[in-house]
Amino acid sequence: MKNMTFEPLRWQEDPVRITVFHDTEYLQAYFQVSAPRDIEWICKGRPVEELPRILTILSPPHHLASAMALDRLFEVEPPPLAVNMREALLQAHVFRHHLRKLYFLLSSWQNPFLDYKTRESRGEQHMVPSHILDKIMHHVSLSQETAAILGGRCDHPLSAVAGGVSRFLKEDHYHRLSEIAESCLKFGMRLGKFLRDEIFGDGKALDGFQNLQIEPMASLALAEKDDNVVLRDPVEKEMDRFSPDMIFEKIGLHKELWTHEPFAYVKGQSKDEIKNIFNSQFFFVGPLARLNSGEELGSPLAEEERQRLIEALGPFPHFGVVAAYWSLLVELLQAAEKMTELYAEEKLTGPDIRTIPSEMGREGYGALESPQGLIYHHYQTDERGIVEDIEVLDTATENNALHCLLTQKAVEVSMAQGKTREEMKNLIEMSLLPF
Amino acid sequence: MGTNPVPNKKLAIFTATGCRACENAILDIHYQVSSLARCADIAFWPYMLGSEVRDLEKQESIDVCFFAGAIRTSSDREAALKLREKSRIMVACGACAAFGGMPGLVNISQWSVVSGQSQRTMDNKQQTNEEEKPELPPLESRVLGLPQIVKVDYLVPGCPPTQNFLWAAIQSLVCNGQSPARLSFAASRLPEAIAQAITSGILPPKGSIFAGEKAVCASCSRVKEEKRFETYKRPYQAYEELGRCLLEQGLVCQGITTQEGCGGLCTAMGQPCRGCFGKAEAIFDPGAKMVSAISSTFDSDDAQEIAALVDDIVDLVGTFYRYTLPTQCALFSTPSKD
Repeated sequence: MKNMTFEPLRWQEDPVRITVFHDTEYLQAYFQVSAPRDIEWICKGRPVEELPRILTILSPPHHLASAMALDRLFEVEPPPLAVNMREALLQAHVFRHHLRKLYFLLSSWQNPFLDYKTRESRGEQHMVPSHILDKIMHHVSLSQETAAILGGRCDHPLSAVAGGVSRFLKEDHYHRLSEIAESCLKFGMRLGKFLRDEIFGDGKALDGFQNLQIEPMASLALAEKDDNVVLRDPVEKEMDRFSPDMIFEKIGLHKELWTHEPFAYVKGQSKDEIKNIFNSQFFFVGPLARLNSGEELGSPLAEEERQRLIEALGPFPHFGVVAAYWSLLVELLQAAEKMTELYAEEKLTGPDIRTIPSEMGREGYGALESPQGLIYHHYQTDERGIVEDIEVLDTATENNALHCLLTQKAVEVSMAQGKTREEMKNLIEMSLLPF
Repeated sequence: MGTNPVPNKKLAIFTATGCRACENAILDIHYQVSSLARCADIAFWPYMLGSEVRDLEKQESIDVCFFAGAIRTSSDREAALKLREKSRIMVACGACAAFGGMPGLVNISQWSVVSGQSQRTMDNKQQTNEEEKPELPPLESRVLGLPQIVKVDYLVPGCPPTQNFLWAAIQSLVCNGQSPARLSFAASRLPEAIAQAITSGILPPKGSIFAGEKAVCASCSRVKEEKRFETYKRPYQAYEELGRCLLEQGLVCQGITTQEGCGGLCTAMGQPCRGCFGKAEAIFDPGAKMVSAISSTFDSDDAQEIAALVDDIVDLVGTFYRYTLPTQCALFSTPSKD
């Protein structure tokens, strides 16, 4: 049997290796996360109040989820100003995350680091003009600026603490935040038009991906109204609704020796059914999983875009790569609209930034919808607040099965179409990117 | 063509085990400060260009390699060795590569190949069919910083590195000071030897650290009143978010032992410093220095009072060596490959 290995992959946050075994009758691709993240071992023994600063190594929204877990652990309620600042920070990260992924998509057909002179000398014609890429990056940097204002730093923020945030905003920040939010919203609308005209439609840039989709799969997301976790079956029907602290009673983790990333699955009636989980009990999270609820969005421009998606691709649920890219645009607009709403001075002003905890708690949990999907933290401490046990459900674990299935699909399609090794790698990377 | 007298440098950017914040910081330089394309050809960047390690074989040599992330697996080690072999200048970028970073805290824990999750929630039943399964790269016996594996020419510390020092490093190592308009930005707050090298268009002395000269306290905006350490506080407790020095308020803040360069970013946000720039030059061991600094300022001569105060202090190792355990803790670290 032959095998092929691709390592590392473009745009993946974790170190990833793809191994493909194949002969004339057999084809099996493995999506391997090749290094452990060791979160449990890094966090155990640390004072629990340090976790928001430590867990940002997973992604910036983990900082916020961790602070929410501390609120519960210390039994404190953050004042409205702090709640708004945290939400404003989250929306900045949603905008930044989705825009970066769209940048990766649009720059994928060319080397984004070639200078203009080299491009001209090669006579390369690109479907995405350079000024569009430059504008995207300008707005990525603007959203990073807001994230730094609200979080202290863009990557590895540090402002969210138990019971609130660590500092008031400065006077000159209010004007800058609303200026950036306005600019991001206007740009989001212009980018939407470009993507619809040039990239998403039939016969356009993503034409080769129209049929690239996985088998229908369940989805997991937080309900906007009551903050409960909602599990939907592949046809959008609600299967279960439960409080986030029940997550590990409903969701199991399965470990395979060939990858460091465990697989999250919906626990079945019997633990003996483990062999069958690869067929029926996987779910996915993220922008497309959220939109698969089929519910209307509260933000008008995002809802308009969602309707355009439905018009072009049909009603939700969707499981295809094109719908996943389009869902990034829908949520990008939603984030920009929320930013304009939240970045008003009256929302970010108030008498208090923090409720001081009066005593040490022993257990806390927090869940939120990060740009990549639902994340969940649960901590247990000793009487001095030293972490004894920690459980973190990250999107890399939740979407691990999806990544494996997409990789298998992309490899099958590439093999069937006789694509080269490079083309196969490109197809895998671009299929994984929007999820 | 042929109008540029200085050929572009070949650049490699790689992250071993760590997050992508250092690579994002380099990407920020590309689109926020100046296009990297003007002075560098990016020959190897897996995250952005999809380069594979085997692509390195095709490169005759690399001029400058920015290596981020700690050494956790044999793949990380192999990549570090290969990049060192190919690169004229090797830069450890970020706290993980420079000092071992937060992944290095694993060195004081029990080893496990189970990643990220509590054993309680993990279902360890294995599939028992006969299919051939791929292998994973073996784990190193302990997490290491890049200087413990290969000789490193320059360090750009920080978690993630700040833009001005990263830009200074790129200016001096990659661009040879080709963009005079940006020099003052790049040279701001740098030690004199590095600043002079940048403005002269020559390489800074080998081993230079792209950071400030003093400790974080020198650039921290908070007011120091020389008060004694009366009580121990943890960051969830009440303290003044603005104004007074955090250490003097009883919080463990590592500004006194940490190399300057961030501008007191965390303390300005009302949070104590955790030392992501590594120890200041004159300090042998940051943890030992912190113990000495705190204990010498206790506002009591009573042994029992002091013992009670010390009893309250938690997780000394995880706090004092948050980013530096593999390389800067005298009891745990192994020597660098100098």
